[in-house]
Amino acid sequence: MKRKRRTEILIKGSRILPEQMTHEVERGYQVKIIQEPENGLVMLKVRETSQKSLFYLGEVLVTECKVQIQNHIGLGVVSGDEPQLAYQLAVIDAAFEGEFPETKTWLDLLETEEQNILEIQKSMDSSILRTKVSFETMDVG
Amino acid sequence: MGYVAVKGGTRAIEESIKRLKYERVCQGQAVEVGQIEAGLRGLVDQVMSESSLYNEKLASLAIKQAEGNPEEAVFLLRAFRSTLPRKHYSQVIESNEMKVERRISASFKDIPGGQILGATTDYTHRLLDFGLLSESNQQVQEWLHRFQEECHIEQDSTSSPLTLPKVLDYLRSEGLIPPCECKNDEPDDVTRESLEFPSSRSQRLQILTRGQTGAVTSLAYAVIRGYGALHPTVGELRVGKLPVYISHPYEEGDEEDGYYIGDVKVTEVEMLMPVTVEKEYGKKEMEFEIGYGICYGQNETKAIGMSILDNCLENPHLGYPSHDEEFVLYHIDSVESTGFISHLKMPHYVTFQSKLDSVRKTKKQDEEAKEKQEVKS
Repeated sequence: MKRKRRTEILIKGSRILPEQMTHEVERGYQVKIIQEPENGLVMLKVRETSQKSLFYLGEVLVTECKVQIQNHIGLGVVSGDEPQLAYQLAVIDAAFEGEFPETKTWLDLLETEEQNILEIQKSMDSSILRTKVSFETMDVG
Repeated sequence: MGYVAVKGGTRAIEESIKRLKYERVCQGQAVEVGQIEAGLRGLVDQVMSESSLYNEKLASLAIKQAEGNPEEAVFLLRAFRSTLPRKHYSQVIESNEMKVERRISASFKDIPGGQILGATTDYTHRLLDFGLLSESNQQVQEWLHRFQEECHIEQDSTSSPLTLPKVLDYLRSEGLIPPCECKNDEPDDVTRESLEFPSSRSQRLQILTRGQTGAVTSLAYAVIRGYGALHPTVGELRVGKLPVYISHPYEEGDEEDGYYIGDVKVTEVEMLMPVTVEKEYGKKEMEFEIGYGICYGQNETKAIGMSILDNCLENPHLGYPSHDEEFVLYHIDSVESTGFISHLKMPHYVTFQSKLDSVRKTKKQDEEAKEKQEVKS
């Protein structure tokens, strides 16, 4: 599972999953914090659709954390002030970087969580689609 | 005469700051930041957009501190932003990846994916709802429960994810507007380098999107009323969430190796402007130009205003200030305009005294001249 998909599941899903995964790593390995969770900014680069050029929309507050496990560096970045989650994301990132055996059992958990997220999203979409306009043509004369 | 430093008034200033706090809390109630975040969505969105910093909690805190005054809240957030390091730049965000919550077109009834009203005040009666005076948390939770049940019962299992095709892409595929290649030049950043004229498109869009809502809306309104040369129609307006990804800071990799960091809610507008173009042998044809508007949160008038001003600035016209980039871009920033206007009330004793001296001198000279004339006659 690629990092983009993995981080999306971990951030959108239940907070219990990253917590459990982190505990699992902490039990088996020594986690060295290179950078304590700290706030910073991410500048958003957006493509406008009129001339399809790029510009900066603005910044987003993020929390970033860096850890080292064995000789593998893990980075955790999440929008908002989320020090705990940023740390957990960094630990999980390092575990996947190092291809630790634990990560193999995590794939099923991540896929299950992804299904849960999709179900919630589907329910939200369905609720929004209730506001979709159904046009009726009026008879004239 | 320049500015000079003056001393004094320390105690008065300290007491004034106390008095400011008194005004905020004098009714004996502390407004919770969470309540602002939960209930003042429009103001939170406006403050995030004008301060160019996306975070609902910080915006709510700024609103609390500023007692609901948006210009002060924006000032606070801009100042806070300047204390934080910029850690990353996002991967390019394409707005066709938006998870749509609202999407309408004023130009086309039948758009691919349909017209989705989402949450809007457009079709509400603007009558004060006195029932809200006694609204309780319990009532709100009961209503939410009923709403969620209703949605659950009618849930359409076949509904596809709400990422919808863009109206512009449809028009381009139909040949109604010219095709357009992606340009990947690195944008300029007005927060790092001062604006110079002529400005680049990326500078214009960045300043417009962080512009003060009222200023952007008013200038766009002036364009349509006659202080400009446009007749726009909303091709597509959407509100929804854009996913944000960053690349690994040290490793080269494909986009899938990037990090998802969260979503930002934005309003995006593509405005169609019909223009008559002269073709070969003097033949005149009608074509569409596109104005682009986008801003943080749900702030539709601002995004529409931005799209109108974008097109104005793409087509400079000496006859209209709204088509003059210097006029528009130098005057729509909240911190710059409110900062300058409000600084006029700060002590200007020395500069004003020098002006008084000049007036006195002139008057004295006039009187002396008058007296001399009287003596002569």
